[in-house]
Amino acid sequence: MIHVENLTKRYGRRSAVQGLSFTVKSGEILGFLGPNGAGKSTTMNIITGYLSSSEGTVTVNGHDILENPKDAKRQIGYMPEIPPLYPEMTVQEYLRFAAALKGIPRPARDAELRRTMGMVRIEDVSNRLIKNLSKGYRQRVGFAQALLADPPILILDEPTIGLDPQQINEFRTLLKSMGGNHTVILSSHILSEVSAVCSRVLIFNRGRIVASDTPENLVRGVSDHNSMLLRVRGRESEVRKAIESCPGIRNVTILETVETGTVELSAEGRKDADIREDLFKALSKASLPILVMKPADSTLEEAFLSITGDDKEQK
Amino acid sequence: MWAIFRRELRAYFTTSLGYIVMGFFLLMAGIFFTVNNLLGASPDFKSVLGSLLFIFLFIVPLITMRLISEDTRSKTDQLLITSPVGVTGIVLGKYLAALALFAATLAVTGAYPVIMSMYAMEPLAFLEILGGYLGFFLLGAAFISVGLFVSSTTENPVSAAVATFATLLLLWIVDWIQPSLPKDSLSGLVFVVSLGLGAALIVHLTLRSVPVTVILCAVILAAAGTGYALQASLYKGIVNRIVGWFSLVKRFQDFGLGVLSLGPIVYYMSFSAIFVFFTVRMIEKRRWS
Repeated sequence: MIHVENLTKRYGRRSAVQGLSFTVKSGEILGFLGPNGAGKSTTMNIITGYLSSSEGTVTVNGHDILENPKDAKRQIGYMPEIPPLYPEMTVQEYLRFAAALKGIPRPARDAELRRTMGMVRIEDVSNRLIKNLSKGYRQRVGFAQALLADPPILILDEPTIGLDPQQINEFRTLLKSMGGNHTVILSSHILSEVSAVCSRVLIFNRGRIVASDTPENLVRGVSDHNSMLLRVRGRESEVRKAIESCPGIRNVTILETVETGTVELSAEGRKDADIREDLFKALSKASLPILVMKPADSTLEEAFLSITGDDKEQK
Repeated sequence: MWAIFRRELRAYFTTSLGYIVMGFFLLMAGIFFTVNNLLGASPDFKSVLGSLLFIFLFIVPLITMRLISEDTRSKTDQLLITSPVGVTGIVLGKYLAALALFAATLAVTGAYPVIMSMYAMEPLAFLEILGGYLGFFLLGAAFISVGLFVSSTTENPVSAAVATFATLLLLWIVDWIQPSLPKDSLSGLVFVVSLGLGAALIVHLTLRSVPVTVILCAVILAAAGTGYALQASLYKGIVNRIVGWFSLVKRFQDFGLGVLSLGPIVYYMSFSAIFVFFTVRMIEKRRWS
């Protein structure tokens, strides 16, 4: 669907992105994850034909973005980081203009406007001037613009910035319902966002892709240990003694107390040992009630920090 | 392209700009017409058009200042450039919108000759007036193309307006300075060489390759020097001729005389086309750098 090969963008001596290669399959929801200035927006701007690359090629549905830009651009709905809105137009005027730009024939425009405004729920502001809209509404008008003409590929640069939690939820549901028959690339520096909707994640750092995998695998990659978080009622010394008597336990760390009269701790077991039952048995034998026990899985956040952190150390 | 044309034209009237441009121009036209033709009882409408041309110099920056700079600043150019329209279509749509506003404003002043003809004792020189309008329109189109180009070089509409005004004023006074320019062949040589070196500097800034620039400079100097050694008379008055290429206003005089020759029409149209082309290149260049 989208094929990017050896993409490089230089500004003078500085490279914004360097030697990127990846393929996005049809129906995939791909996440670009990375700190600000890592090259996510630049990559999106090159794929959509807003910027030209210094080196490398981008092919969209078989159309090269430089050699055949019009056909390539017709495949893509793009919502940039700052929605490209004209403040002095009403929502309807703006969308009608965008529909004309995308070459939707005049008789079909009204139906198309109704469809996209319904999808992002902005019918109630359709006659208001864009400059008077709240940030969340502007963001949605920008999204409606990307949906016009129902392009098979959607490229969304930080699409949920400025939305409230309920709107973010609605947006995710909408996006998931579109996955499958639409190919989506979305960028974010918020990790939960990416892991919630994306089937695959590319992690960007300093203009390079430093990791590419499913969110689950990325997390698994960094969690080579196997540890649990516990809250146990009792004295610290007793608890520690009881846990250290378990066979599979490698390490116990006492954490800051949250509830008075209890001990907060993390118990780390050997790799591929299930320590949950052992912990339960040992603590109940010492009649120390377990109030909370949950796996201390490393999150995508940790995966992200460890991957981008490694990269910094190398430099 | 037409979608952009319609949006730009409408934008003139959803902001106050279109009203200011039309209002100011028509007010001045009305004053000139009243004083010169009505109160002065003169059938000469050409001189009114001539005075309006000077007023138009102040109006062009207003018409063109935000055409492209505003889109660059507010990032709406992302919508335009990533749509399947193409940069040439975008620039043409905007240029035609500015032309349409100008043409509509000019068309309103067409009522004056009609009023005059109703009360005139003898028939008006309609062909002269029509010629004058055609010249005015073509000259205005050339001015607007300059403003369009300047607007593509900056993100700030105000700087675009000021720079456009300065450029147009410079083009305006070309006729005044032309007679005082040196005519001897040595100054001609110096002028040609500095133009050549200026072009080499632009090439250097684009390619940033020292060998290419050195070779280019050597070729320019050698060619200019050989030409001078072989036939120095070649350089006589060359300063005048080159500067004369940019004399937009002089070519307007012919139209006012009712002489319709192909030369000035082609000149104005190619002048506008070149600046529209430069604008397209300017936007393309921003995508590459």
